[in-house]
Amino acid sequence: MSKTAFRLGATLAGLCGAAALLLPALAADSKSDSAVPPFMLPATAGWGANINPQVDPEMWLPDDYLHGEASVKRAISLGAPPNRVVPYLNARMFNEYMPPVSGIGPVMDGPEHPFYNNAVQRAIGKNSSYRVADLNSEAGKNLMPWAVDALMKQNALALQGRNGETRQARCWETGVPDIHEAPQGLYFIQTPKEVVMYQGGRVRHVYMNVPHTKNPAPSWYGESIGHYEGDTLVVDTIGLNTVTFVDGYRTPHTTQEHVVERFKIVNGGKALDVSFTVDDAGTFYKPWSGRRPRYRENARMAEDTCAANNDDKFNLGFDPVPTATNPDF
Amino acid sequence: MRESRVCICATALMAVCFVSGSSALGAAAVPDLSGTYWATTYSPKIQVMGGGDPPLNAAGKTAYDTNRAGLRSGSLPDPARKVCLPDGVPRVLETPYPFEVFQLPPGQVTFVHELNHQIRPIQLDGQLPKYEDVVNFLNYGGHQVGHYEGDTLVIQSNGFNDQTFLDSTGLPHSDRLETTERVRKVGTQLEDVVTIHDPAYYTKDWQARFVYARRDDVRLMDYACGDKHRDLSSVKGVADVRAARAAGRFP
Repeated sequence: MSKTAFRLGATLAGLCGAAALLLPALAADSKSDSAVPPFMLPATAGWGANINPQVDPEMWLPDDYLHGEASVKRAISLGAPPNRVVPYLNARMFNEYMPPVSGIGPVMDGPEHPFYNNAVQRAIGKNSSYRVADLNSEAGKNLMPWAVDALMKQNALALQGRNGETRQARCWETGVPDIHEAPQGLYFIQTPKEVVMYQGGRVRHVYMNVPHTKNPAPSWYGESIGHYEGDTLVVDTIGLNTVTFVDGYRTPHTTQEHVVERFKIVNGGKALDVSFTVDDAGTFYKPWSGRRPRYRENARMAEDTCAANNDDKFNLGFDPVPTATNPDF
Repeated sequence: MRESRVCICATALMAVCFVSGSSALGAAAVPDLSGTYWATTYSPKIQVMGGGDPPLNAAGKTAYDTNRAGLRSGSLPDPARKVCLPDGVPRVLETPYPFEVFQLPPGQVTFVHELNHQIRPIQLDGQLPKYEDVVNFLNYGGHQVGHYEGDTLVIQSNGFNDQTFLDSTGLPHSDRLETTERVRKVGTQLEDVVTIHDPAYYTKDWQARFVYARRDDVRLMDYACGDKHRDLSSVKGVADVRAARAAGRFP
């Protein structure tokens, strides 16, 4: 260090010390602010999903997913042309979970009935299709018989072209972790006591550094508590009602469902890595995990108008949008 | 290590200089309006400040009569109650459910409502757009911008679509509606005085005042249309409305 720089440093250090003495509150705030990873972005930005992967160079996805041997093999088995595997895998991230690096993953489609969402349709030129769960997969075999029965019924409907839309597309509250499948941008409001997550009309409240209450009444998003582990926000959720599904294939769950989510900013601040583990001794033999990366996009938080003009106009057996027959006040 | 310390100190100093510099220039501190709030009274009919009825003009009276008749018979949908679409301003202010105010993220004040899982993102870094610029982008909650005047957050909104009412009795508005809210703390309460400007339906601007109790003991609950919701017995007026509806009377 040069003499001048040292002098400057010493002067600054002195002034800094004086400032800290004069303004202890400010110094404390600075310290705590620097320790909290900034999931809350300026008002002009949010954490988007992969709406148009083919033209968006900012998209970030893990290498093991885009280029890993197992992932590429699976993509080809599901109909992706060998020279379009990366666009195909990108496009699947429009409204789906990503499998974990290892271990049991989410229920997904299989080679017999591949799922092509609208982005996949554009990426590889296949006709879009509804989700049909592959019950012979490792994730399928992790389901208890009652859940297998429920999925067989839903699979049969989907194969008839009925009830193929996800709950979020029908404006229902998705629960946790299904909120991560939805393609709308995710926004955070972070305070020391609470983290609010907002995503296209879905609002979650995460209470920080407090224990769970005893026997919380089941609700759409359950009771979420959170804490930071270094650069990661860890959210623990229980008390989920059984009206929701855990994924877009309509895998059911019980009130024993317990979800732990981990949120971490990656790729130099440009992307959000979200991973979660679902444990439900009434539905799954073993816990399973999934991921859903998002990336920073310039888009403001906006009102939710999902239920506007969203009737089942072509009688495709969709869930009705949530409706109140009588106003309660 | 030393270099990073120097860097942190420099940043802290800049912050100190900025804060003291702002004070020296006379810029007022931003009032703390954050917290959880809950109304203690509810009226389906908006209460005009100073008493009396809203100053409807002839077109406004016709529209109000049509709305009331349609809501009473069920031929006119009330999407904010039937499928929980956003209430719009000022109807969102008469909510009997709690809400949270965050003066976050930077550049925005965010109202998070339990009712209809609504949010109101209020831009602090923008100006109210001209009607001509938003007429093709009308929405339920309008375009909302805000700024601070002393202890008050001033929210201006326009660009409302015609799918909302000003209150639960069907009080009408046109897509030219502009609202100005003055939000401030009064003791422990939050006060929101809204001015309605809509010459298409009203002979003059008029105001309504809403007051909410600070309720940091309350956690907002999930809200989905058609659910059984939280106990509203603490909110005066709700029981009367429910009784009226049960008796087949339109509130």
